[in-house]
Amino acid sequence: MKPIAAGLCLLLLAGSSAMAETILPYKVHTTVLPNGLKVITIPMESPGLVAYYSVVRTGSRDEVESGKSGFAHFFEHMMFRGTKKYPGPVYDSVVTSIGASANAFTSDDITAYHLNFAVEDLEKVIEVESDRFQNLHYDLPAFQTESGAIYGEYRKGVTNPFEVLDEKVRDLAFDVHTYKHTTIGFERDIKAMPEAYDYSLDFFKRFYRPENVVLLIVGDIKPDAVLKLVKKYYSGWQKGYEPSSVQQEPPQKAERAGTVAYPGKTLPILDMAFKGDAFDPANADFVAATVLGDLAFGETSDIYKKLYIQEQRVDALQASIPLQRDMPLFEIVARIKKDEDIPLIQDEILKTIASFQATPVDAQRLAGVKKRGRYEFLMNLDTPDKVAGRLAYFVANTGGIDAVDAYYTALAKVTPEDIMNAAKKYFVPERRTIVVLKGAAK
Amino acid sequence: MNTLTLTAALVCSALCSMTIGEASVKTENVVVVPVKNDPTVCFRIWFKVGSQNDPGGKEGLASITAAMLTDGSTLRNSYEQILEKLYPLAAAYDATVSAEMTVIYGRVHKDNLGEYYPLFLDAMTAPAFSQQDLDRIKSQTLNYLENTLRYSSDEELGKAVLYNAIFAGTPYGHIASGLVSSVKSITLDDVRSFYKIYFTRDNLVVGLGGGYDATLLSRLEKDLGKLPAGKPRPIDPPVPAGLRGFKATIVEKDAPATAISMGVPIDILRGSKDWYALAIANSWLGEHRNSSSHLYQVIREARGLNYGDYSYIENFPEAGRRTVPPQNVCRRQQIFEMWIRPVPPDAGHFALRAALREYRHLVENGLTKEQFSLTRKFLKKYILNYAPTTMARLGYAIDDSFYGIPGSHLAQFRAMAGTLTLADVNKAIKKHLHYGSMEIVVVAKDAKGFHDELAGDLPSPITYGTKKPEVVQNEDKEIAVFPVKLSPEDITVVPVTEIFR
Repeated sequence: MKPIAAGLCLLLLAGSSAMAETILPYKVHTTVLPNGLKVITIPMESPGLVAYYSVVRTGSRDEVESGKSGFAHFFEHMMFRGTKKYPGPVYDSVVTSIGASANAFTSDDITAYHLNFAVEDLEKVIEVESDRFQNLHYDLPAFQTESGAIYGEYRKGVTNPFEVLDEKVRDLAFDVHTYKHTTIGFERDIKAMPEAYDYSLDFFKRFYRPENVVLLIVGDIKPDAVLKLVKKYYSGWQKGYEPSSVQQEPPQKAERAGTVAYPGKTLPILDMAFKGDAFDPANADFVAATVLGDLAFGETSDIYKKLYIQEQRVDALQASIPLQRDMPLFEIVARIKKDEDIPLIQDEILKTIASFQATPVDAQRLAGVKKRGRYEFLMNLDTPDKVAGRLAYFVANTGGIDAVDAYYTALAKVTPEDIMNAAKKYFVPERRTIVVLKGAAK
Repeated sequence: MNTLTLTAALVCSALCSMTIGEASVKTENVVVVPVKNDPTVCFRIWFKVGSQNDPGGKEGLASITAAMLTDGSTLRNSYEQILEKLYPLAAAYDATVSAEMTVIYGRVHKDNLGEYYPLFLDAMTAPAFSQQDLDRIKSQTLNYLENTLRYSSDEELGKAVLYNAIFAGTPYGHIASGLVSSVKSITLDDVRSFYKIYFTRDNLVVGLGGGYDATLLSRLEKDLGKLPAGKPRPIDPPVPAGLRGFKATIVEKDAPATAISMGVPIDILRGSKDWYALAIANSWLGEHRNSSSHLYQVIREARGLNYGDYSYIENFPEAGRRTVPPQNVCRRQQIFEMWIRPVPPDAGHFALRAALREYRHLVENGLTKEQFSLTRKFLKKYILNYAPTTMARLGYAIDDSFYGIPGSHLAQFRAMAGTLTLADVNKAIKKHLHYGSMEIVVVAKDAKGFHDELAGDLPSPITYGTKKPEVVQNEDKEIAVFPVKLSPEDITVVPVTEIFR
């Protein structure tokens, strides 16, 4: 089945498992430069192709100042506005002339810049990338013009009911933690972005520092040669990272509930969100939860068969258990065909949770989930870009990729009892926020 | 564990595709892309049927029939059982249905081929066609048409309306999902008879790629050969209304921003020298999701009016969700298309003018030497990103078969980027692109206001929150009065609720 919406698959890795002590089938070379820049190189057979990821461990999570939601993503755009040596149009023409596929993305915990290109252009890429990370330079008009592009990005997304829902659920579930806002940010803050030029300069100084960045270079490369080039171009980068003081969310005391109106027409959507735990392979409850979502609500679950295939009361149903740096929301989302069925669907979801709290999951189903995780992982390592893209989230969460093995090893050991414990720990009323979205248009 | 590591370590040999096109082998009914060390096997079974074959009043039938195969029960397994069996394999199968093609595709790790193969095969050869499955699939399609497409993405809405407008009255004149009324009318008997006509052994091309062994191909051919015989009557390519000046459709809805798509039929298909020349020009004007796009530079980068602006000479569905071109959406009639992502409502008319002005400039003046040199240099390497996986290469190989390209389109594209001259490119622009005809679709809140602005060719001055460089300001003055003449009878305003009815 197709997922409800791409935006809800918060992390590709959610709900996977494997049994290897070393799950990654490639040799990994890790070096930390004296200025704190970590460089991870992974040679793999990929004739002539390289994926180059600069992972900044800053995302919308770091937007602690009031009125600055959406700024990490805005800043991602500014990174394409160039330096004195390579002004924006020159940077663009360099990337164009080497035929690189270049882009960037931002989410809660990460801002990542990535290029795919031919290995012969590696030094050029290292030169221009190291330059913009150290010497970014833009003037006020360029800054203000880019804010228009951000507003455009907001506008194209805001017609999607899932974006409207996500904004509401986060706002209601969190009081102090910055997961309260989406990565694109509140519209009022996007509107005010053109005024924040000085803040943006400060943002660069605080977060775009070597101790907060990890380079992931994967493909047809020789690690020693790559490292030599990285040292040549990045060694002058000065330390100075100032971690933002993200406030941890205090324990929730009671269930929260709300509704949100979508200006267009849509089937109603029910989102039952539970405060989970941060990514931590040593936390057995958390690791078990990452398979629980699929076991309880995935396309082989009893509730899916009943509500989606047989009774056809829902048009889509899925759970999302993301791997994040701080406490995220574990969400169960259903798009429901009839308004009057909303209470019934909510009740069915709660009954499913209760059954997972009370009864150990069938061992064969658990084995199936583990097998799926193993093959899903293996089948999606077929390009340097896929390898780097997948590892980037582990880097964002932990600063490196050691946690990959720790996580997959822990997943392989998950027992039916662990899953019961996770169900009992996380999926309880005092962690719960329920939001119903309904369309306004008739 | 050793086995696991070993197989995965070899996974990237699929990337031997750096030399695009080597190793793909085609006969009339078989396309293979063997990649010995690839631990996965890829299938693409192309049935020569698409939404152009939907009977009148049953628009959407091709799409629903394909979904009944890939998202429904078979004679051996219920849909629930299929999902349960596929789940541990981390494998699935699905279908793409476009105007002319239906491709059933799937990918599985070699370790799991034995369990996967019968499920995949049954999907095509032994569908159960249950009423329960049809009800579910129809309901999803209706939700897509009535809610998702009308309300949740004004960009996709605009593109769908554009294609429907250009090809109105032809077999391309409706989107693959169909119309609300026609989808509602589709019955199991409709699905069964459509399947019987088009899903025959004489109407398919087998596509196989990856690390399969020699016996699999013959087994697959033999098993698909058990489908009944039958060669459906071919349909002539559609003849669009042709170049008929500027026409506009304004879709009225409560939109927070104004989405614009426009296009005009072109008389050329991939494979010919002129197509590659035109592709270079198009890449310069609007390479998809790339800052090298000139339209992007003019509308987004210099003016900050939206998130991006691109152009196309081939159909490019679901553009918002892709970074590189899709496969298996081939057509015998293509359009030149410009996509202006949503702009603030008061900048709609200005952005439309800006894009048309750039288009006219290209048509009249061609590329400069510098633009040509940079673009060909870009394309020679960038094209490598179009097909980094076995699955994508197999998709391209099937497309080569559709267009009758003997070698590989992508290899040819790279070669042409190296050999074509500026004169070739500018000649192709003159021959195949013309200024003066354009089907324009605008999704806007104030449709009447937009109508009046277009009908009166009223000036559309632009204001920004910040001062722009003089060169931009001066250009803005020209854009604001750039003539786009439409008479009131060439402008249609349609409420969103009327679309896809």
